Amino acid sequence: MWLFLANSLSAQLEYRANFVGSVLASFGEVAVGLLGLVLFFGASDRLGGWTFPQAALVLGFFMLAESFISVLLQPNLNRIAEQVRLGTMDFNLLKPVDAQFLVSTRQVNVFRLSDAVVGLLVIGWAAPRLPDLTWGGALLAALLFASALVMVYSVWFMLSTTAFWFVKVQNVTELFNGVFSAGRFPAAAFPAWVRTALTFVVPVAFVTTVPAEAALGRLDAGLALWSPVVALALLAASRLFWTFALRSYTSASS
Amino acid sequence: MTTPHDAALRVRGLTKHYVVHEKEPGLLGSLKSFVNRRSRTVEAVRGVNLDLARGEMVGFLGPNGAGKTTTLKMLSGLLHPTSGEVDVLGFEPRRRHADFLRSITLVMGQKQQLLWDLPALDSFLVNQAIYEIDDADFKRTMREYDEVLDLSGILRKQVRKLSLGERMKCELAAALLHRPRVLFLDEPTIGLDVNMQVRIREFVREYNRREDATVILTSHYMADVTALCERIVVIDAGRVVFDGDLGALVERSSPYKTVKLQLASPASTERLARHGEVVSHDGLGVELNMPRAEVGERAARLLTDLDVADLTVEDPPIETVIGRLFGAERAPEHA
Repeated sequence: MWLFLANSLSAQLEYRANFVGSVLASFGEVAVGLLGLVLFFGASDRLGGWTFPQAALVLGFFMLAESFISVLLQPNLNRIAEQVRLGTMDFNLLKPVDAQFLVSTRQVNVFRLSDAVVGLLVIGWAAPRLPDLTWGGALLAALLFASALVMVYSVWFMLSTTAFWFVKVQNVTELFNGVFSAGRFPAAAFPAWVRTALTFVVPVAFVTTVPAEAALGRLDAGLALWSPVVALALLAASRLFWTFALRSYTSASS
Repeated sequence: MTTPHDAALRVRGLTKHYVVHEKEPGLLGSLKSFVNRRSRTVEAVRGVNLDLARGEMVGFLGPNGAGKTTTLKMLSGLLHPTSGEVDVLGFEPRRRHADFLRSITLVMGQKQQLLWDLPALDSFLVNQAIYEIDDADFKRTMREYDEVLDLSGILRKQVRKLSLGERMKCELAAALLHRPRVLFLDEPTIGLDVNMQVRIREFVREYNRREDATVILTSHYMADVTALCERIVVIDAGRVVFDGDLGALVERSSPYKTVKLQLASPASTERLARHGEVVSHDGLGVELNMPRAEVGERAARLLTDLDVADLTVEDPPIETVIGRLFGAERAPEHA
């Protein structure tokens, strides 16, 4: 793992201009998110029943999730399709380590870790301003958030694995990205039908709003514990799906 | 499934069918195939049987699309066979057992595993970690490979800045870092100049000798195959059409020998034709084809009949032999 990290970093340092660009992009992303919130709360002091610090907590979780996605998921899972198309997937399958692990961790987009740093700063700013926050709530939030990341990984991984049949699936992940950016704001800020879609169709609400609710003690703990169960089930499903996909791997001809 | 201890590989009735989508050329064809895909089953490999002993080097010959690469991919566990049994070192490749993957390698001349933006050495270190090679072994192996392949100058250059030949040397070394016992080499010398081809060949021969490794090699360059392999397997249209040593292949598929003459005085083509089939007749230089069995007798008669300055008897070039073999094996199918 560390070697992959070091490799990715040095590969990215190879292209100096690109490096500077990607750091700037990170900060741009953060600015857009904060600006959105500041604008909202300039007009009113509540957003779907959430105060500014509470909504900031959601944004913090969003930035953390975004960082997880752009540091690990995006570079690796988008590459699956590319590797299937070019046939270099062969080399992953020839290595005596778990191929799913290898394709999921091979590349790390180190610079987008800045998203995580900013996310933590935002949470750190919001936390002391939230009277409802308890240690138990925070712990539960962390658990829910981790489960949510596992869910995102599993769903995305399965989507990318369809590349074994469809070869080009980049647009599927674009779609996911588009929907995911809605997670920036508390789910309650959206009309009811969008909220339902964000909770059940694409579980974006689970990633940001639900952990924030847990932290604020608004969530039933018994219900919340289902989250890791669902996450593990999805992870197992992604595993089975991967094994199944390998059977129909045809490898690009040489 | 058990294998005798000196056997490295055993294949029975190996078959692979692909479903492919067909598309008419042009945009309209693309649209049509997007809406309604027509698919067709291609039988890439049909019932291949093969046995290899430990330390054996075998060359796969065959035209493009004959099923050589597909066979190699099934032997290395990348593709799941449609049917048939494969046993490599006691493993079933499609299960991709870690111990199996640690003892084989697949080198593809057309695909690369080296990280494009980094020096080759970085890719080597990744492989060292993946294959869990300890530092002492790693250093020893690198020293050995460096001796034959002369890697020292190129390991620290970014892969994208290497020449094709340099890259191939690194690819090969990276793929053999874990000292595999079975090597699948799919056109390892494609696109390389003659010097580099010789280098790569030497390296493979040396590795085979030192490690007693089993090698299957496919190549478009006959020289690769003839230089390295005594045993040849010819694959055509997914079937093994010949399996034996190179000499037998030439004998079987070419019943003729070529006799080259340098005449001391001119002779008419008609007169030459009495001794054999005239391939070329250019002034005093003549090439005749004669039935293999009668070469001795005919050459003696020819020497008394004509004024000959020089005479050599040769087997036809291996390319011609292979070309003729495919022609012959295909003929009944088309008839």
